[in-house]
Amino acid sequence: MNLQRFSALLKVNLKKLIRQPATLFLMLLFPAVLTLVFGLAFSDPASGMDFNVMVPGLFAYAVIFMIMTVAQSFSDERQGGLLKRLNVTPMTSGEFMGSHIISNMVTAVLQMAIVFVIALPFGFTPQVGVGGMLFAFLMMSIFSLSSIGLGLITATIAKSPEAATGVSFIFILPQMFLGTFMNFSGAMEVAGRFVPSYYLTDAVERIFFGTPLTDVNIWIDFAILSITSFVIIIIGILLFKKYGKA
Amino acid sequence: MSAKINANNQNSSKNPEDIFDPDNEHAIIIENLVKQFEDVTAVDGLNLEIKKGELFSLLGPNGAGKTTTINILCGLIKPTKGTAIVGGYDVKKNLNEIKALIGVCPQEAAVFKYLSGRENIELFGNLHTIPKKKLKERIDQLLDAMSLTEASKRKAKGYSGGMLRKLNLIIALIGEPEIAFLDEPTVGMDPRARRATWEFIGSLKNQNKTVILTTHYIEEAETLSDRVGIIDYGQLIALGTPKELMEKYDSKNLEEVFLKITGRRITEGL
Repeated sequence: MNLQRFSALLKVNLKKLIRQPATLFLMLLFPAVLTLVFGLAFSDPASGMDFNVMVPGLFAYAVIFMIMTVAQSFSDERQGGLLKRLNVTPMTSGEFMGSHIISNMVTAVLQMAIVFVIALPFGFTPQVGVGGMLFAFLMMSIFSLSSIGLGLITATIAKSPEAATGVSFIFILPQMFLGTFMNFSGAMEVAGRFVPSYYLTDAVERIFFGTPLTDVNIWIDFAILSITSFVIIIIGILLFKKYGKA
Repeated sequence: MSAKINANNQNSSKNPEDIFDPDNEHAIIIENLVKQFEDVTAVDGLNLEIKKGELFSLLGPNGAGKTTTINILCGLIKPTKGTAIVGGYDVKKNLNEIKALIGVCPQEAAVFKYLSGRENIELFGNLHTIPKKKLKERIDQLLDAMSLTEASKRKAKGYSGGMLRKLNLIIALIGEPEIAFLDEPTVGMDPRARRATWEFIGSLKNQNKTVILTTHYIEEAETLSDRVGIIDYGQLIALGTPKELMEKYDSKNLEEVFLKITGRRITEGL
């Protein structure tokens, strides 16, 4: 991997995040607005909901929408001929994908920080030390890999950025409903076990509400999330490389 | 380059079929090249040799196979059959080496709209790992040559078609490629900008660069090219200097040559 090429690509991806209004909204403003709305609606105990318990799900919510932005970004670059153009330079696919992965991981950490800070005035009272906090950030970064992978799969299926928006909901909705702060029972609860966001929410909930990091359930969540995220991103990269580039 | 020649020499002792251009004279060698897309044959047994430092124009009606040929030479698509050697390297085996040698100006201006013109050029310069100081000098020089210095500070999103074309061309040449593929580089430019771009493309010859140009502007090909190849239905149907072709087909200009050979005007279907 060449550092000059990698850092140039990384810089472009981060500039895109800031300069494209749609990306900026979905990646950074959306989590802020979402937390604000949920905070205003559910911080009052009279609402019958516990906002405190919802916050770990909101972390996952923010990163789930990365599926859409990644899918739009790749299909947009493909449609504009940029992928072809990049492909005839000495850049390697490792440098290209690596820059996207790192910039999205950085975004996921930023998203978590935004949700965290905005949730505090609404009564979010995490009982977590520095170690627990860092571990939660690490899990968010790992979870972002699955969103990038699903974004790549979406970009492979969809042939335009517009289509990518629609197709991305195939992956967004199940994760949103089954793997965040909504509680289900029976078959739906079992179905929730098949979405990566379930394991992120479960682990972060435990970490933020006083469960020590030595707890085995946190490590089971961590292992399942890591394995599924790595498998999904590898599938995403392989599918996009084979069928999505043209 | 010397490493490559040595590599070829080493190969030659093992397998004579692997000697690509032993005289080191040719930038491109194409032998019996075929590209099929399902039941459509886009390139049909193409044979062509382009010398180093040559400015070669590839002419043909829409769908003749020009862009497919260039895409094969750049490594964007794989040939169905045949051989294509670029800068001494086989497109099927040595794509990384080829990518370090070439610059490609695609038909549609492909730039990052949210970056400024300068940032776009910088990105591609960095992808070619040009040292920072040299990159800045080279960017200034190219922007000046294409009269884009002032506009380069603005985001490409607000560029006119002509400005995007200029930026498209600069990006292709930022890596100081040995071989430049320019696919319709002046489409959408006003006549004055087109003339200036011709001058600029012509100056590449003085730097001993090989340029492969595809164009629908016959005048462009006539003015710039050392040699012209006319391609139709994926086959090379005429090859020579503009003068040779005009004499051979008893024509006043290349447009007439084209019409006589293909039965169509070059701009038909545009």
